[in-house]
Amino acid sequence: MAIALFQWAKPMHTCEPPTEVIEEWLASNGKIKGTYGHLLLEQQTATDEDLIAAMRPYFESAHLDAREYFHRQIAIDLHPDADAPGAHARYPGCLPSTARRGLFGEVMAGMMTEAFQGQFVGGHEWRIPIFLFREHADVEAYLWDLARNPARTRQIFGRFGSDFVGLSLNDAGEVVRFIAGEAKWRQQLTKSAVDSLMLGKWEEDEETGERARSGRGVWFEINRDTPIPHGLRQLQRLLELRDPAGHQAAILSIDQAIILDNAPPLPRTNLILIAGNGACGRKALDVLIRWEEAPEEYTAPHDLQVVELILTNGEALIDGLYSTLWQGGE
Amino acid sequence: MPELDAERLEVADTLRRALAIENELSRPQARAYVRCLQTTWQVPTIQWAERESTQQLADARRLLHAAHIFREIEGAGSARAIDCFRRTGEILEWLSRAADTLRTVIPIELLAAAAYQLGGLPAMASGLLRQIVTEHEGVALYAAFLKADFDGVIRLSAAFWNAHPDLTASDASLRLAEPGVEVDELDEEDDRVGWFFTVELVRSLGLIADSLRRGDDARLETAMAKLYALDEMAARTFSDDASLVLSLMRQVADGYKAASIYRPLIALAALNPDRTGKLVAYARDQFSRGRGILWTSQLQGLDRLLRDSSFALCTPTGSGKTLVANMALVKELLLREHDGLAPLAIYLVPSRALAGEVEAKLRSELGGEMTVTALYGGADWGITDYWLTGDEPTVLIATVEKADALMRYLGPILTARLRLLILDEAHQIVPDSGENTRVSFSDHSNRSIRLENFVSRVVTQRPDVVRIALTAVAGGAALPVARWIEGRRDAEAVGVRYRSTRQVIGVLETAPNATGRILLDIMNGRILYIRGQEQPVYLRLRMQPMPQLPAAMRNSLNRFNCLSVLWTALHLVEEDQRILISVAQEPEQTMRWFKEALELGSWAAVPRFAAPDGPDRARFDEARAACIDYCGEVSFELFLLDRGIATSHGQMPQRLRRLMTEMIERRICPITVATATLTEGVNLPFDHIFLTSLKRRSWDQETQTQVIAPLSTSEFRNLAGRAGRPGAAKGIEGMALIALPTQVSSTAPATIPVQRGQLRELRRDYERLRVSLLIEEMDADEVESPLALLLNAIQERASRLLGVDPDDFLEWLEQVLPTDISGAAGEGATDARARLADTLDELDGVLLTALDEIARAEDTAMTGARAEAHLVDLWRTTFTSTAAIQEAWLERAFVQRGRAIVETIYPDAEERRRLYQYGFSPLVGRRFEEIAPRVRELIAAATTYGEDDAEARVDVFEEIGELLAADRGFGFRVRQTDTDQALLRSWTNVLGWWMHEPEFLAPEADDLRAWQRFVADNLEFRLGVAIGAVVAQVWSTGAGDAFAVPSLAEWKATTGLPWFGFWARELLRWGTHDPFVAFALSQNLAQTREAAAERREEFDAWLNEEFDDIDPDDRIDPQLFLQWQGSLSRRERVAAADGPEAVQLTGTNGRRQRYSVIPVENGALIRWLDPAGFELARSDDILGEFPTRRIGNDYELRINPRETAVHRTFSATSRQ
Repeated sequence: MAIALFQWAKPMHTCEPPTEVIEEWLASNGKIKGTYGHLLLEQQTATDEDLIAAMRPYFESAHLDAREYFHRQIAIDLHPDADAPGAHARYPGCLPSTARRGLFGEVMAGMMTEAFQGQFVGGHEWRIPIFLFREHADVEAYLWDLARNPARTRQIFGRFGSDFVGLSLNDAGEVVRFIAGEAKWRQQLTKSAVDSLMLGKWEEDEETGERARSGRGVWFEINRDTPIPHGLRQLQRLLELRDPAGHQAAILSIDQAIILDNAPPLPRTNLILIAGNGACGRKALDVLIRWEEAPEEYTAPHDLQVVELILTNGEALIDGLYSTLWQGGE
Repeated sequence: MPELDAERLEVADTLRRALAIENELSRPQARAYVRCLQTTWQVPTIQWAERESTQQLADARRLLHAAHIFREIEGAGSARAIDCFRRTGEILEWLSRAADTLRTVIPIELLAAAAYQLGGLPAMASGLLRQIVTEHEGVALYAAFLKADFDGVIRLSAAFWNAHPDLTASDASLRLAEPGVEVDELDEEDDRVGWFFTVELVRSLGLIADSLRRGDDARLETAMAKLYALDEMAARTFSDDASLVLSLMRQVADGYKAASIYRPLIALAALNPDRTGKLVAYARDQFSRGRGILWTSQLQGLDRLLRDSSFALCTPTGSGKTLVANMALVKELLLREHDGLAPLAIYLVPSRALAGEVEAKLRSELGGEMTVTALYGGADWGITDYWLTGDEPTVLIATVEKADALMRYLGPILTARLRLLILDEAHQIVPDSGENTRVSFSDHSNRSIRLENFVSRVVTQRPDVVRIALTAVAGGAALPVARWIEGRRDAEAVGVRYRSTRQVIGVLETAPNATGRILLDIMNGRILYIRGQEQPVYLRLRMQPMPQLPAAMRNSLNRFNCLSVLWTALHLVEEDQRILISVAQEPEQTMRWFKEALELGSWAAVPRFAAPDGPDRARFDEARAACIDYCGEVSFELFLLDRGIATSHGQMPQRLRRLMTEMIERRICPITVATATLTEGVNLPFDHIFLTSLKRRSWDQETQTQVIAPLSTSEFRNLAGRAGRPGAAKGIEGMALIALPTQVSSTAPATIPVQRGQLRELRRDYERLRVSLLIEEMDADEVESPLALLLNAIQERASRLLGVDPDDFLEWLEQVLPTDISGAAGEGATDARARLADTLDELDGVLLTALDEIARAEDTAMTGARAEAHLVDLWRTTFTSTAAIQEAWLERAFVQRGRAIVETIYPDAEERRRLYQYGFSPLVGRRFEEIAPRVRELIAAATTYGEDDAEARVDVFEEIGELLAADRGFGFRVRQTDTDQALLRSWTNVLGWWMHEPEFLAPEADDLRAWQRFVADNLEFRLGVAIGAVVAQVWSTGAGDAFAVPSLAEWKATTGLPWFGFWARELLRWGTHDPFVAFALSQNLAQTREAAAERREEFDAWLNEEFDDIDPDDRIDPQLFLQWQGSLSRRERVAAADGPEAVQLTGTNGRRQRYSVIPVENGALIRWLDPAGFELARSDDILGEFPTRRIGNDYELRINPRETAVHRTFSATSRQ
């Protein structure tokens, strides 16, 4: 069985966000102060089939690249009697629900960035040529240990990468700025859940017995990230594979940003998207992260855009979407 | 090429130039390396901040990105990508070995190893990974893969399947990938994609490993496609580090696939498809030896081997050039059609010690296919020379001296069979330009001219003989050697210019009452700190300072220095370091110093050596017994061996030398004291080499002056290159350290100023070496050549001593006789005129040999005109003519002198033939001819030797020796020292002792080496050569036919000599008067001369039983020895190969009929798994029916109407 190396063109993410539907679905309140932007998005209409149908093309477009590779990988059966690729799995539908929620957050980060770019800090034009789905943090534990070891909750090597990377291109196709960030789904966006997310989990000091946040949350990760996030290199690799000619200027400008000592630094915007159901008792316009100015925990020198996406029964949307992706055929 | 590719390349190259130029380290990189070394040595490190680590890591990542760009655009072979990968490997290795905290964040070792693999430095990859212990099974698996340890990959993946039997079901992967299907052990919330991915990765790696080593291309393709797909998926779904490791592994796997030994071997097999099976088996065996993935230089060499015939391969020590030589042997001896005479290859090695090493290697790999035999010396036929009569393809491994002697003896048949000439360490063709070389011409002891002459004679007679030259790298003569070996000015050496190990050069600073410290200066030709600008780089050793030495010892600065080295070495051994203490001269003095120091009460606490256990114990005992046998109970050698210190020098009896080498190779003795002869071309596992002097001193009796010869940089390089062999030593780098005192050691006021002077001189010597090492990094294009040097020496001396005008030189050369120049010509005199005469005689020897060999081959009379024509041809094949541009007069001088040889100087063809066969230079031969008949008479008279007592036997040698003792031409020669002169006067004592005559006194320990030198130079060599020359000539005369092959059955009838003539040289070689002892030792029937002598009774009893009428010569008849040996009960062979094992199919319907399987044992149950982890069949192992089931073997499941069974298709032989 000879299998050719895959150099497919095309499945870039090209679908526009369903702007009209989004505007009807979400109430937006944006505020920009200097290099800090805060956007509060609150669901204002119920989730229904129409909403799901309107969002489905965007989700299918976002997942298309990963889906193809996943399927191709799965189709190669190493059993000696297997003689033809036989695929059964359906990505991303085969993922467990937690993973699907993670993916949802990442797609929403892209969708909101594209749909609300006018309300984002800096007012840049953002494009997500291709989506990275790097939610499988657990895989590394399997990968390094070759065992499913529940005791080891964090991977032994590696830090989490940025979940999401988008680009701003000039007319020549060069990257002039990028947006990188974390997209997090929490079922209930309580203060405690958000603090755990942003500041780290509670830890008990072994000597004093005092409890304190570990400090290793989103702020920590985002503050210490390298000037050029590794995710940008991965995105570049996908561009090389998928559309080397169409994105050659972007590819070259990423090379320059990564390699050259004296290259002008590539401007960066950090994005934090928190999505989930509003906590009990939440009032309209309540925010989880303050909007007036950048929180003091944020110390990185780059622009920061926070997006709070407050849903009502978000699970219904997620499950509704993911159970129907590609149901209409490839 | 997309239009922006050029710009991408420029971006990448900017970084390469800044961070990854091969011979330059940035200052931060040099600092990182120093920190790594200091950590490895567990000594205080330089200041280092966390941000420096982060910066190094960032640099490594950037270099990987640059390498990616180069490979994307320039292809997988991009040289610039290789630069980037190598430096990445280094940066990460240094972080890793410095125990940097970053190691906990990313798997640095895996990244480093992958970068080394992709940078074409596989030994660095495995060297680094060998030092890593990991608790993570995944990391262990990937490390095994990145080391190309495929057996290890299969072992680890088998363990994984054993731990997860549910995953070995045929549909296990599909179930994992299927949404909604419940899978054991997996909760709904587990990341089943992640787990699935991991399982599939283990499957792919196991299958790749198994397919690579079996050469199963079809399944390899499938596994590679899977790995590609996993890599693509990882790029989308995993963090950068995990996906980076995966991506690099995928590229490494591509490299493995491209570099598998199966490819060139199957291409070779196209020459003779009948041999495909053998070649495939050979390839599989190479995988089993960890050599299945070829190095770049091997690939290039094999590529040349496939395309052309002759070439020079230039590649570093330890990079596997032997494999290329082996394949050349296979190609020329096994694959080519031949009719009649079985083909022959001559493998020329620079030393007898190396002949043994090469013989062992070749025999283990090719011994089943061809006769492999090393000839250690002697012009005549010995007991081990059975190859001659064989009709099998044959490889003769010999020094050029031995090959030359054989050619004179058996030239026609050798030439007729010869197909291939391999020159190992071929750079030795280049002579040093110093005075020693000129002296060696007049002494007739120059090797390079002998090599040049031998090869050009062969090539002139047999231009179709394939030549392959193997040469070392640094400071070498690769280019000139390539031109010579291919006979083209535009030839280039095949291979890669890189070091296979990292070499560090520096100083061990010694001082009284202080612990030594190591000053590091140069790493791979790059300086580690800038003198005068930066802090010197030190490793401050952590050991007790050496106790103060008694006055007698410390009053010699040299002695103090040597003992400081020993003290340091003894303590480093505790850290499992292997150390060579290299002595420039007089090793016996250093040995005595070491013994006396170790006997000091204050040294009682030095770490003790424990003799090894297990199989090594027997080897150690054997070496010890041989040491007692040849050196005596009170020798320094034995004293030191008992303390784990091996010794070696050029005059040591060969058997002992080989055993000592084994002590080093098997790492039984952690410390070695040796002269440079130990390491000439031989690979031994040393981590560090200490030098105690950079000079040799000798006394010129003629001029009454001390001659000081500094160690040449090339000699130093050769020595330094032996340290830190990849895979053999513990550390990755080898260090060559020159011991230098920083203070005087004496406390005596009179001695102190003297020592200060010595101290300054030692510093100067080192400085000179250091500077020239940095300058001489480049390869030479033009080098000295032997004949040019010889002719120039004659011309220059003729002008200086005799006033011969350069314009008249050719005319002078056409008519002058050596005896016109000096009455002492041919007598080994040392005055300038005699030396000139002898130098001319050397030239005459070269010419006469060439001409007579041609005359014999063509069987026509040689005339002046024919000689001229032949010599013009011959000249074109010399190194001198092809290697470099030479002045035109050289060729004219060569040709015209040759014509004169035939016409006026040695006009008698009969005489020329005899002189040719003696093998001496012609004038010496002429003088030898005066005693040759007498030697022959003495041999012929030794008819009762078989029954004579020891005294009578040794008397025969003494009588022959007397004919040589007074002559300095063909006879005994010693140095002008009082000791050696005294030894010459009483040489019969040395003979009696050496030949093991009872009652003869052994030398004092101090004198042992002088005696050994006399034995080696005069008894083994000169006496042996004289006897051998006579015997060879007697045989040739008797045989009549030039193509006659000697055989034991006809030897006596042909020569008309008693068996003593056959044995004489062997006896001189083994140091015994009894041929039986020589036989038993050569056949490994006994370990010492005494033990061999004890077995004589067995032989005598057998002889008396089997035969009546035994005459004296029967007692030493080699045919009877062999018969007796044949009668000894053979060692019982190990149980025969296992039969097939019946199995029940579990995970296959068997429709493919043949399946590769690996055994996974679980109690009494054997599960036969596909290498991708699917169980295919099971069997019970009730009685251990299949006892040698091992992961290193290959098994195949076969299903057909007759059987459903597993067969073993390859068996890995156990190796140590």
